[in-house]
Amino acid sequence: MAAEVLTRNATAEQFDAPGQERAAAGLGMWVFLATEVLFFGAILASYTVLRVRVPDAFAAGSQRTDMFWGTVETAVLLTSSTTMAWAVRAAQLAKRSQVTHLLAATMGLGAVFFAIHVHEYAHDFADKLVPGIRFAYEGPLAGGVELFFFLYYVTTLLHLTHLTIGVAVLGVVAMLNHRGRFDRSYYTPVEIAGLYWHFVDIVWIFLFPLFYLVSRT
Amino acid sequence: MSTKTTEHVAAPASLVDVWLALMALLAVTVGSALVHLGSLNVVINLSVSVAKTLLVATFYMHLRSREPWLRVVAAAGVVWLAMLIGLSLVDYLTRTELPSPW
Repeated sequence: MAAEVLTRNATAEQFDAPGQERAAAGLGMWVFLATEVLFFGAILASYTVLRVRVPDAFAAGSQRTDMFWGTVETAVLLTSSTTMAWAVRAAQLAKRSQVTHLLAATMGLGAVFFAIHVHEYAHDFADKLVPGIRFAYEGPLAGGVELFFFLYYVTTLLHLTHLTIGVAVLGVVAMLNHRGRFDRSYYTPVEIAGLYWHFVDIVWIFLFPLFYLVSRT
Repeated sequence: MSTKTTEHVAAPASLVDVWLALMALLAVTVGSALVHLGSLNVVINLSVSVAKTLLVATFYMHLRSREPWLRVVAAAGVVWLAMLIGLSLVDYLTRTELPSPW
């Protein structure tokens, strides 16, 4: 009985109508994203304070990051947001196989971002820019540069964790889609997972200039 | 409270337009970073980030077409962030550090 109700994508019993359920899901997700803004916000606040106090060290540290790959990563994530938005559109129109393909493309672009980042970390390790593990920087700015790279790792690793969770969530949604669990009146998981993915993209939109573009002239 | 939601389906052309705008903004932020503009560099970089965020949130995250109170929630997150950073800076920018006497 219960399984039968589930496959019919019935409205959960606490809701009056599918529209109300969808509105509640959207509100819940946006409230969650607001808490995520503050989760990253604590790190951004320490970044701001430190950059104000040791601006030269942040400029010097930023010059040691890889601007080329950072730019490629940004382009990859922005494009993945487009494929994600397109997947939601396809879900609204109940184009099942198109949803699968677009979700796969989004996950693939996420994997590309992940791979580029691991490549960057390997480079930083070789350049002795990993605080606490392998760090060597000469000169009066050494302490500030170490703080810069400490923040760089905390922030990008936290972002990468979010990205990985996003890929996993999209994988589950793609599987549900493949099994035909969505139709024109019910595609909330695609939309909600999309909101999360776009949030991960937006976090990177800010991290890119804050860590890669401080001083490039 | 109304339970009706607007079913707005984005046109493919608008999704592509937003992508083109995002790529153009990326070019602006990277290009301007290569020119020495002093403190204007950080202003441009962050303005571009805000513009990109508005594009993604407005169109890809459907803030334009969905319920108005979602915009309130989204704005609330940003307002709290502004308070967090702004009020922290008030302290760090206006007070001198006094070393403890012991």
